[in-house]
Amino acid sequence: MSLLEIRGLTKSFGGLTAIDGLDLDVAEGEIVSVIGPNGAGKTTLFNLITGVYPADGGAITFDGVELVGRDPDAITRFGISRTFQNVRLFPDMTVLENVMVGRHCRTKSGVIGAVLGLPSARREQAEVREQAKEILSFFGTRLSGYRHNQPAFVLSYANRRRLEIARAMATGARLLLLDEPVAGMNPRETAEMVELVGRLRDEKGFTLLVIEHDMRVVKGVSDRVVALDYGRKIAEGTYSEVAGNDRVIEAYLGKKATA
Amino acid sequence: MVPATTRAVNRGLIIGGCVVYFLAVGMFERFTARPVITDLLTLGWTVLAGLWAVAGVWAARTVLPPASSAPDGDEAGGRTARAVTHAALAGLLAGAVPALFLLLADAINLRPMLINAGATMVNALAVDDSAVAGALRLVLAALVIATVAGIVASAPAQVRRVAGWALGMVVLLALVEPLLRVIIASLGLRTSWLYQRGGLGVSGAVIALVLGVAVGVLRRRDTPTTARDDGDDGPRARLARGGRIAGLVAGAVLLLVLPRLVGPFLSEVVGTIGLFAIMGIGLNIVVGSAGLLHLGYVAFFAIGAYVTALLTSPAAALGTELSFWAALPIVVLVTAIAGLFVGAPVLRLRGDYLAIVTLAFGEIARILALSDWLRPALGGAQGILAVPAPTIGAMRFRDPQMLYYVIIVACAITAFIAWRLEDSRVGRAWTAMREDEQVAQIMGISISRYKLLAFALGAGIASVSGALFAVKIGSVFPHSFDILVSITALSVVILGGIGSLRGVFLGALVLVGLPDLLREFGEYRMLLYGGLLVAIMILRPQGLLPNVRRMAELGEEERLQDQWLKRAGDAGDPEPAIATTKTDGAS
Repeated sequence: MSLLEIRGLTKSFGGLTAIDGLDLDVAEGEIVSVIGPNGAGKTTLFNLITGVYPADGGAITFDGVELVGRDPDAITRFGISRTFQNVRLFPDMTVLENVMVGRHCRTKSGVIGAVLGLPSARREQAEVREQAKEILSFFGTRLSGYRHNQPAFVLSYANRRRLEIARAMATGARLLLLDEPVAGMNPRETAEMVELVGRLRDEKGFTLLVIEHDMRVVKGVSDRVVALDYGRKIAEGTYSEVAGNDRVIEAYLGKKATA
Repeated sequence: MVPATTRAVNRGLIIGGCVVYFLAVGMFERFTARPVITDLLTLGWTVLAGLWAVAGVWAARTVLPPASSAPDGDEAGGRTARAVTHAALAGLLAGAVPALFLLLADAINLRPMLINAGATMVNALAVDDSAVAGALRLVLAALVIATVAGIVASAPAQVRRVAGWALGMVVLLALVEPLLRVIIASLGLRTSWLYQRGGLGVSGAVIALVLGVAVGVLRRRDTPTTARDDGDDGPRARLARGGRIAGLVAGAVLLLVLPRLVGPFLSEVVGTIGLFAIMGIGLNIVVGSAGLLHLGYVAFFAIGAYVTALLTSPAAALGTELSFWAALPIVVLVTAIAGLFVGAPVLRLRGDYLAIVTLAFGEIARILALSDWLRPALGGAQGILAVPAPTIGAMRFRDPQMLYYVIIVACAITAFIAWRLEDSRVGRAWTAMREDEQVAQIMGISISRYKLLAFALGAGIASVSGALFAVKIGSVFPHSFDILVSITALSVVILGGIGSLRGVFLGALVLVGLPDLLREFGEYRMLLYGGLLVAIMILRPQGLLPNVRRMAELGEEERLQDQWLKRAGDAGDPEPAIATTKTDGAS
């Protein structure tokens, strides 16, 4: 059985149908890329999976649990986390704190524990701090050392994207949704990110659903590629199958002029 | 860019307008009753002179380079001349505008429109001379003061600092006269060497000047030198730590003996400061941590006061007559639940909408207390009388000098709670929610739960303040709980710096303490708040004492980076470190 199963998912905004009867499966341990021209409904798909928008129809099942109609925070607790196309960190919080916020849904100390300094709360706080450092060390020296205590807004663009991934990792998710992870990165940073996405699965065991425009990245990371246009799936398969697909080329470049 | 001269003219006119406003609302007249240096200078003229000095400095800044760049030789000389000219020009205008206003007020009757612009004002401003002579004097005084200010502004930083401290110290010592005189007198010392008839004596003014100069000379911008001292256990660091501890001990001792030193009236003022500090701490959780703009905070304060009165007063309908200490936990609990009831319907509101709805809740609380419906329980406009004082054994905490200690302890406990929460799982959830509510929820934080928690906790803390208010006054009336309480509490938070715990205390001291200390300000309190808040928003939006932890991190970033790089360099080049992790990843 697939980890994520989407059946007949539909969402419209007024008269515009953003997702139109979409079926999609993601198996455990797979890296699936979602491609498609602007406005194809890729980010809307992410927003539906994470509960930001309620779906109009269809079903999203994650590990046997129906997600449609649940709040975003509940969905995160089930084990799905994401990054954002336009990086959305907590800018005034430090790098470490951003990641620690990610651990929120896996911890439970409350007001009384914190105020009285109960041993359980202290232990949990120390654990969360260590786990956050551990997660940040996944990015080599880029987000470690003195960076821990820097506010997120001083980070470079690429580091902000990395920190967003770290924060998503910290939620203890099994499925990570990455929304254009290399947007705005230079070639060297892009290459590094491709490798990182692979390591996320190989070392950390995440299943990944990735929205990406950069076809070299799609080629580099994907086990399987799904192409969307006008909210429908127009192609699915390996990178070369999808990249050579006529309907995909048409969606990106327009119809061939026929005499 | 607008030419510098035009900007100097604009600035002069703006200050001129401010001076006219100061005159027209009657502040000048009120303030001339208060001496700064007895028989020489009144507060009214001090404010005028201050405004003109601001005009001079502000106009000089149109041509002065920013503080960091060092001027050189001829260019600097020419620039100084232009700066002084601009200052003089602005001063001329800043004096001419009120001079015209003076002539106008003398020539025609402005009183139907501006009730304060009458003969008394004209006389006060012209110092009992003819209006024309007075107007000329105004222009001349403004010109001289602004020019001098311009010269000082073009001088090196050291001179500017000394001048600022010297003049500031005179005004400061004169303003705290009611406080300082009582303290000195209660130590059994004479006060005439410093103060005479409500203001500084001549000797006092000289002492203040000398003190100010001394502070200005000694107080260098010391941050760069200490920051470079990164050996943590050096003698200097140890000295600094010793100084800090000594300061803390001295502060604690001062807090303990303060009511004895300042007497009953000022103890009462300090108590009121404490009450607003507690409210500020609670509101800081709601507004500062969780980012929920709450304008009806007075409702929780009122509920705290009323529930205390109901539970403890023999005159109350409930008739339980609990002791204050037995009632307090119930008060906090009831108010926290009330906080949940206010919070639940506004969960989906943000920003402006939330502010308006909570504002309405505050008014509803007051109107309910006044209503006929609840009169049997709450006593309507008559309120509830005879709220008994808290007692411990034979000690009764009724008079301000005793109740002070209860308030201080309450301040300490609430501040401790807020401080502990700051760097906790709950505090982080609030901060995340404040920074981006949607993302916080997607990261697994239950927004409704943490909003309600903030409301309940904020309400509980405000109720402590309300309970203490009830026993302080000994009775509760609906009219004590109008919107001004909410606004004052919010101003306290904003002035000190949203989210800053130390800032709350400073904010309460300035906004609640100062107007009580300077009775002249009494009727202009709201004007003062408004002006102060606008100034804060423009000049220092992070507040007077911003959230320290974060600011310190920002400043220290460079140093930390250097240190880390050095350490990484000792252990081996940082670049290979990246390479190793990479190969690890590939394998």
